[in-house]
Amino acid sequence: MNDQTLDRPWMLIAEREISTKLRDKTFIGSTLVMLVIVMAAVILPAILAGGNDSDKIAVIDDGGAAVVQRASETQGGEAYEPLRVADQAAAEQAVTNTDATAALLPGPDGYVVVGKDKVDSGVGGALRAAVASVGMEKNAAAVKLTPEQLRAGTQVTEKILEPGPLPGFVADFVNIGLALVFYMTALGFGMMIAQSVVQEKESRVVEILAASVPIRSLLWGKVLGNTVLALTQILVIAIASLIGLTATDQLDILSVVAPVAGWFVVFFVLGFVALAGLWAVAGSLATRQEDLGSTTLPGQMILMIPFFFAVFAGPEAREIASFVPIASSMSMPGRMLTEDVPLWQPLAAIGILLVATVLIIRLGARLYERTLLKTGRRLGYREALALEAG
Amino acid sequence: MLRVAGLTRRFGEQLALDDVTFDVVPGRMTGFVGANGAGKTTTMRIILGVLAANAGEVRWHGELLTQKTRREFGYMPEERGLYPKMKIRDQLVFFGRLHGLSVGKATERTDKLLSRLGLAERATDVLETLSLGNQQRVQIAVALIHEPIALVLDEPFSGLDPLAVDAMVDLLREEVTPEVPVLFSSHQLDLVERLCDDLVVLSRGKVVAAGPVAELAASQTPTYRLVVDGDAGWLRDLPGLHVRDVAGGTALFDAEDEASAQQILQQAISRGPVLEFGPERVALSDVFREATR
Repeated sequence: MNDQTLDRPWMLIAEREISTKLRDKTFIGSTLVMLVIVMAAVILPAILAGGNDSDKIAVIDDGGAAVVQRASETQGGEAYEPLRVADQAAAEQAVTNTDATAALLPGPDGYVVVGKDKVDSGVGGALRAAVASVGMEKNAAAVKLTPEQLRAGTQVTEKILEPGPLPGFVADFVNIGLALVFYMTALGFGMMIAQSVVQEKESRVVEILAASVPIRSLLWGKVLGNTVLALTQILVIAIASLIGLTATDQLDILSVVAPVAGWFVVFFVLGFVALAGLWAVAGSLATRQEDLGSTTLPGQMILMIPFFFAVFAGPEAREIASFVPIASSMSMPGRMLTEDVPLWQPLAAIGILLVATVLIIRLGARLYERTLLKTGRRLGYREALALEAG
Repeated sequence: MLRVAGLTRRFGEQLALDDVTFDVVPGRMTGFVGANGAGKTTTMRIILGVLAANAGEVRWHGELLTQKTRREFGYMPEERGLYPKMKIRDQLVFFGRLHGLSVGKATERTDKLLSRLGLAERATDVLETLSLGNQQRVQIAVALIHEPIALVLDEPFSGLDPLAVDAMVDLLREEVTPEVPVLFSSHQLDLVERLCDDLVVLSRGKVVAAGPVAELAASQTPTYRLVVDGDAGWLRDLPGLHVRDVAGGTALFDAEDEASAQQILQQAISRGPVLEFGPERVALSDVFREATR
């Protein structure tokens, strides 16, 4: 009788919740599918981008090849590749049958860029700049100027007054992604919590549970167990993404994401716990699995509305949403990644969320206590609120 | 001692329990009988704390029953239920720990009970693959897993064949030590009669009889059985005699005491040959019928 769970039965409930899920093939399966999707999302773009063949540019002499080489270097990598052919006819032939994207041929005063039906503006611009650069260096050498002297005072750099941490489309992607992670996890685990509660009601085991431990312990145990599971699932996915990023040399993204990770966990846990309380109530209002469709509706709405808000709303609306409990779990981490958010904002949002979570959990515990042992028929939320204790 | 005092419970307008008071004495089996809807399950659920009473209290050795003490009770609810998809060994260990046992102790008890119930080979099977009879055995094992300080069993033998009932009774006798009070409800009065030391009879939410079975039976007006060679219909004409039944030469009647019964016998002898005469054993069903009338 000296077991540590004696005075903490919720630990035992949480433990059972976790060990049951870890043996559940559906749960393991869906986690694996999620892993595969995340890995694919991380790795595939890199492979697709990296696997893109460089554009071939047909050239007929060393000068042309050097220009293509220079164009490729300025683009930072292997954007263009010279394709050496015998003469002008062969070069034009290569362009016509699309062996080469374009051809670079010596012209009257420099070079001619040959295209099939048009010259791709990117290719044209890159070649033009490369020709100019190579040509001017050659001309400069004639008047004994080094390339550095030639370029002195001609460099243009950019300065952004209000830099965002991430470029525009990446920011959108990250915002949606983070909101989606919370949405999917909260919905998936929420349904599992509701199901596990209603299963206990359906199988009547709840009568023995309630006779052994306080009903609140049952609720805490369920919420705790599923929160641990959800966080673990996210951690596994995060590790998988890290491996993916490392494998594809994209680790620089990490320096942007890492500082926000801690905030994300705080917002996640608070939002998740509040919702978990509601989902448990959804389960305890039902008497059969079939009832879950209607009893979980409010929970689904509470998740779905802020999700669409987080994803589709404009910046101002999103800023407001990032203070609203539950919605803040989906909006604030994303905002912190993509905008410069003053420190008081996430702190205030966490404060509001914390208060809301405590209130929701309290209300949830009350409803749970009053409805868990009612096995006669499905109850409504209003009806449950009006119920007396016992 | 487990004492139920003044329990009252209303469901809406309906009064389900009305000032229910009785004791469950350690080391004695107390049978809890009453018609359907008399309030047996309601009383038991209140004892186990899964239902609140509108008034009244449950006391354990004189003190108000606390959640902590209640956790050491064993309970078999009327509506059976365990985790259908959990292996029975895991399940028993879980409930043992839920009742406060250490992992080691819970495992030890589980293995002992499973082998005692002949379910050792099914230990890693999930509950729902077991026959209903075996599921019921697991259910009783759950009630006994933590060596409970008191047992509350709601219709523990319903749905069991006589052999299974005997096995279950043996298990109870073995597992239940002399300091454990046992309260069990049942419709099967013959079973209650065979097993119980004490009896509580509930009718429409009220306790109508309570006490040791022998005393309750003795308090009944004794019934006599008379068999004569001829017709016994004349008994009906005797003033002040309550005749229960007359069929040809066989009659059942209540007598105030032994002396008045003997008077009847003499009358019978004077009328002709008497084939049989003697007190009729009082069946529990009579006590029950009497009490709930």
